[in-house]
Formats: sequence, structure tokens, C-alpha cells
Amino acid sequence: MKIRVLYFARVAEIAACPGEDIQVADGARAGDVLAEVARRYPEMARPDFKPLLAVNRQHADPGLTLADGDEVAVFPPVSGG
Amino acid sequence: MDPLCLMVTDPINTEAVMRRITGDGDGAVAVFAGRVRNHHQQRPVDHLEYHAYPEMAVEELRRIADELGQRHETSALALVHRTGELAVGEISVLVVAAAAHRRPALACCAEAIEIIKRRLPVWKKEFFTDGGEPQWIYGPDEDCAGGGASGGSSTDA
Repeated sequence: MKIRVLYFARVAEIAACPGEDIQVADGARAGDVLAEVARRYPEMARPDFKPLLAVNRQHADPGLTLADGDEVAVFPPVSGG
Repeated sequence: MDPLCLMVTDPINTEAVMRRITGDGDGAVAVFAGRVRNHHQQRPVDHLEYHAYPEMAVEELRRIADELGQRHETSALALVHRTGELAVGEISVLVVAAAAHRRPALACCAEAIEIIKRRLPVWKKEFFTDGGEPQWIYGPDEDCAGGGASGGSSTDA
């Protein structure tokens, strides 16, 4: 499946891009995307770096099953306000 | 009326938002404005940059407003967050809750800002006047008491 991955804030700085398409296996979960992102950008795999996920513009747990074409956002804990 | 949920880049005009959403039946209007503070952990703040996932942020504001509307007897609600570069003293977030009476207006306003800080996909980066490296703030400050490594930031919101 093709997944559109979006990066924000410090995550976008580490990836040096706003997003990219990645391929994952059928039945993949949101957490699998996070693992692939951490593989590509080792700084995101640090134990003190705990990025969050959104799938199709809603906060999501790593266990959420993805569908082809889903949009997965990876970002640090939010700090608005 | 439908809640007013906006992500904006221009300065937030509190009076204009209040005028836009309130009616003659509203005996109470509760307003919370989060502003950029001039210091953080003894360091002098020059300005903040607010970054957002704008498409999700607008949808999340609407979800938050819908949830609040089910829990509070308010007649109108506005949730507005600004992004971009903000100077000290500028308003970064505005909540306006209107109701016939004060209790639902105050309760809704207080709950709204707490939920916004936990869920809205917005991130701030602090720039200092002492020449130090800018730093991202991770996670919401829990309140004015500050917090751990990621807690506290140069807004009161």
C-alpha cells in the first residue's frame, strides 16, 4: 500500500522535508509507518523522542490499521496555546 | 449558532470575535486569551513561531467545539488559534464562550483551552533575545506551575 506521510515541527526538520510517500505491506498499522520513519531518520528512534500520529487528520494510536492512500502525520507532542 | 473555529495568520481581534458570535440573549461572555510572554525559565523571549498542521487543526477545533457544545449550555463558542511569527504580547489563542448565564460560559471556556492545549496540532518554537539557540516546546504546559523538560512555555495559555 502507498501511504502519504506528513511531517511537522521538529519531525519535519529532522526529515528535512514536509512529507513523502512510503510503501507498507497490506494490513500495516500506523505504528509500522512510525517504525519505517524511525529507520529512515535515526534521530526519531531516540528513546526520549516520542512522536505522535494522526491518520487522515485525526489523532490515532499505533495499532490503527491503515488503508491504501491513507495520510499519516508524524509530529511531536503538541504545544499550541 | 455554529461554533466559529478558525486557524489564522493575522492578529486576533478579540472584540471583533465577541461581536461576531454573541447575541442579545447572552448575559455572560467568558473570554480566554493566551499571549506570548517575554520570558521562559529565566530566559528572555524575543518571539515565538507557531507551526500547525492546518487542515487537521481546523477539523480538530470543530471536533472540540462539538464536544463542548454537548457538555455545556452555551449559545455560542469561538475557538481561534494563530500561527506564524508572534511578538511578545500578541494573542496566540482565543476562546470565547457565550451563554445566558455565567456558569456554563466560564466552564466551557476553561475546558476549551485545556483541550486545545492537549489536542490541537500546533507547535511553538521559542526564540530568545540572549542569542541562544531557538527551542521547540514539546507538549502542553500543565499550568502556570510549569513542568518538566517539556513543560512550561512562554505563553499563559
